[in-house]
Amino acid sequence: MSADQLPFQVADLSLASFGRKEIQLAEHEMPGLMAVRAEYAPSQPLRGAKITGSLHMTVQTAVLIETLVAIGAQVRWASCNIFSTQDHAAAAVAVGPDGTPDDPKGIPVFAWKGETLEEYWRCTEMALTWPGGDGPNMILDDGGDATLFVHKGAEYEKAGGVPSPAEDDPEEWVIILDRLRNSLADHPGRWTRAASGIRGVTEETTTGVHRLYDMARTGTLLFPAINVNDSVTKSKFDNKYGCRHSLIDGIKRGTDVLIGGKVAVVCGYGDVGKGCSESLRGQGARVIVTEIDPICALQAAMDGYQVAPLEDVVATADIFVTATGNRDVITAEHMSRMKHQAIVGNIGHFDNEIDMTGLARWPGVHRTVIKPQVDEWTFPAEEGRDGHGIIVLSEGRLLNLGNATGHPSFVMSNSFTNQVIAQVELFTKPDEYETAVHTLPKHLDEKVARLHLAALGVRLTTLTKEQADYIGVTVDGPYKPEHYRY
Amino acid sequence: MACLMQRFAVHRPFEGLAIAACLHVTAETAMMVRLLRAGGAAVSLAASNPLSTQDDIAAALAVRYGTAVFARAGVDRRGYYRHIERALGAGPDLVIDDGGDLVNTLHTRAAALLPAVRGGCESTATGVLRLRRMAAEGALAFPVIAADDTAAKRLVEGTCGTGQSVIDGILRATNTLLAGKAMVVAGFGASGRGVAERARGLGAQVIVTEVDPVRALDASLRGFRVLPMAQAAPLGEVFVTATGSCDVIGAEHIAAMRDGAILANAGHFDVEIDVRALENLAVAVHTGVRPHVDAYDLGDGRTVLLLAEGRVVNLVAAEGHPPEVMDLAFGIEALALAWLAAAVSPEAGGKLPVGVHEVPADIDAEAARLVLAAAGTSIDSLTPGQQAYLDSWRIGSLSGARNLAAAGTACSPTLWAGIPMGGPPVVAAGGRVSSSHATIPIGYTK
Repeated sequence: MSADQLPFQVADLSLASFGRKEIQLAEHEMPGLMAVRAEYAPSQPLRGAKITGSLHMTVQTAVLIETLVAIGAQVRWASCNIFSTQDHAAAAVAVGPDGTPDDPKGIPVFAWKGETLEEYWRCTEMALTWPGGDGPNMILDDGGDATLFVHKGAEYEKAGGVPSPAEDDPEEWVIILDRLRNSLADHPGRWTRAASGIRGVTEETTTGVHRLYDMARTGTLLFPAINVNDSVTKSKFDNKYGCRHSLIDGIKRGTDVLIGGKVAVVCGYGDVGKGCSESLRGQGARVIVTEIDPICALQAAMDGYQVAPLEDVVATADIFVTATGNRDVITAEHMSRMKHQAIVGNIGHFDNEIDMTGLARWPGVHRTVIKPQVDEWTFPAEEGRDGHGIIVLSEGRLLNLGNATGHPSFVMSNSFTNQVIAQVELFTKPDEYETAVHTLPKHLDEKVARLHLAALGVRLTTLTKEQADYIGVTVDGPYKPEHYRY
Repeated sequence: MACLMQRFAVHRPFEGLAIAACLHVTAETAMMVRLLRAGGAAVSLAASNPLSTQDDIAAALAVRYGTAVFARAGVDRRGYYRHIERALGAGPDLVIDDGGDLVNTLHTRAAALLPAVRGGCESTATGVLRLRRMAAEGALAFPVIAADDTAAKRLVEGTCGTGQSVIDGILRATNTLLAGKAMVVAGFGASGRGVAERARGLGAQVIVTEVDPVRALDASLRGFRVLPMAQAAPLGEVFVTATGSCDVIGAEHIAAMRDGAILANAGHFDVEIDVRALENLAVAVHTGVRPHVDAYDLGDGRTVLLLAEGRVVNLVAAEGHPPEVMDLAFGIEALALAWLAAAVSPEAGGKLPVGVHEVPADIDAEAARLVLAAAGTSIDSLTPGQQAYLDSWRIGSLSGARNLAAAGTACSPTLWAGIPMGGPPVVAAGGRVSSSHATIPIGYTK
């Protein structure tokens, strides 16, 4: 059977029982997901849904996947990053709660830790390809790669062919074009058909949402989207508290460096940058923030951080973390001026925040693999300076997932409960969502928060009717106007 | 202190004794005076700082609580020392000092009273330093307890009390926003650390200066930037000295400062900021632009603001340590003084050697325990087994090793810390005799 026809593809099925144990532990830490699983199980709102998921294949995602299945969906899954899969979780998902490694009864999952870029896009296409050459009718995306593949497929079908790659196109783009070219040749028109059958996409992360708003603005968006990232219970929690937890986890597991007393630079002071800065400061680092946005920069200053241009601190800081959602924030030139054994990592969704291509092209630079997802890049000696090395984590890809296990379950329960609710909304109410980017209504946002309070021993106060009237809300909420920023 | 009141009223540790105290005259000190009186003492009190007296408290102590009080806010230098001499009166049996001016006066201008003084207690780091120097030169005439030098007091008074009340003083005096400001804290002892941490909590970007490499390393590992004062001077917007030293901020630093820089001192004496240098550099001084704020015009468009004339800002511009802090501090001092009174009493026949003494560790613990109990906080106590384990140098015994091995739950080899004890060889489980260095496994109990 060719690779393209496998029912699933994971690193090692025998890891399934370990994966299953961790999934069970995670279920206890994910009260929101388990609550919606119980709430929707009787009515099976996702019956008939064929969901393609492109989202880090971790233990937490396994609980999301099995929740979608429990409420009626069929699911095919790939990871959205070459390093983020937890192989035991992927194995457990392929085997399923009722199967064995010899007789797997799980779902089609195509994901392993340490994929090549070529393998990554093959897995994405396989997750988008249903038996009989059909496509999904829903997408659950993180970063927008699945959405991108469908949109580009349809675009090139309309244009009559896939363009040839340009001279300086990134390697990954060349791979995407190749794969689409083969796909158009084998199954003409399939992506246009697929797009017309997709009721919508629910998108997890800031960068993916950015792509969606771009498409909406240029009129190229093919189906409605729900921006899950900008549910308050997602971005103000996952992005901030998740990174606060998992950034230093990744740095420590990767390098075992003492963070106390070091100088750390965090590029970007959005939700992720705020969490990262607090993370490093809490361990005793002195954190310097870089920012292009004056509002975020002022927030950083008032939170007690020095705010400076990267050029001013590049030669003296010990740790650099990019969290901007932008590109070329740390260039090869910056890296050439860093201290010996400065640590460089990225926690943004894509790996273009650090110019890894430019680094690889630096004359005389040499890469040594220290251990998986930890590389030392040594620069040649130059005038006035011995050769120095820098430590790059996860090849510039998200280091919390590459060097550790990503966000902890409880905070992912917030995010994924939003995802499930969003999938149910889009699938069951297709007429209520026009082809645009939407966010979930506030009362559902508040519902997600409510589902997580009991586990933390939180006891909420209830408004009296008089108090509710006084501020113009109902006793059950929503409690804040749309423009409120938390 | 409320708990101690009852205890002292029963046991009367200061029965018939005259106590001369030199302390900041605040509400908390008033409680201390009442506590000493409950213990049977006749108390006279002078202020340990010319600006820190709360006049209404002084009056209440004199009128309501039978105390001979010699203190007035804003007294001049001569008046300050005259008050101390008057508080010494006909000669105390015990003294309580804060900064060492009372003890110093006794040893210089009032030396005739020295023979009757049985001992005393000193409250602050600066005073303790002076006493140690006196003792080293053989100049100290009676035993004194260094009541600043306890673990509990350093933490509660130094770090929490000074930390909070210095910030309070700066805010009350200037109303400046600390968030986003560069604050230079000179000194990272208990007090400096308290100020630095709390300033950071308010969003300031804190820079620490230090001469002690161990303290500097501590600051650095806690995430503070550490710089020499010469490099911090042009960066800081607020400066706080907390060193116990002199001339920490001098002419060359002031010359480099930014317009609007605020200078405050958290140390006991007003020598940490070189106010004379500031006066010399200024072309004009506008006093009292706000209460406790003097503006020094440096003539080149820059103005530097000095708080509380460089004196201890938390007491002058705010109310000193919060009551809870002084409750612990004074509780320790009262207990220590009672211990000393018993140790030097003629009836007991005891004599404490002349010199500086530490507060007995169990007094420190007792005071902390009282404060915890009052707050409703419960803690654990050691079991007899744990106490025995901690008391024994022979951690792990022959029978212990055998028992654990037999139970099959012996400590895994990784628990052996391999600490050579240099004693006779120990027969390990299995009968093998180890080398002349017996390695004792951590984690065994008897």
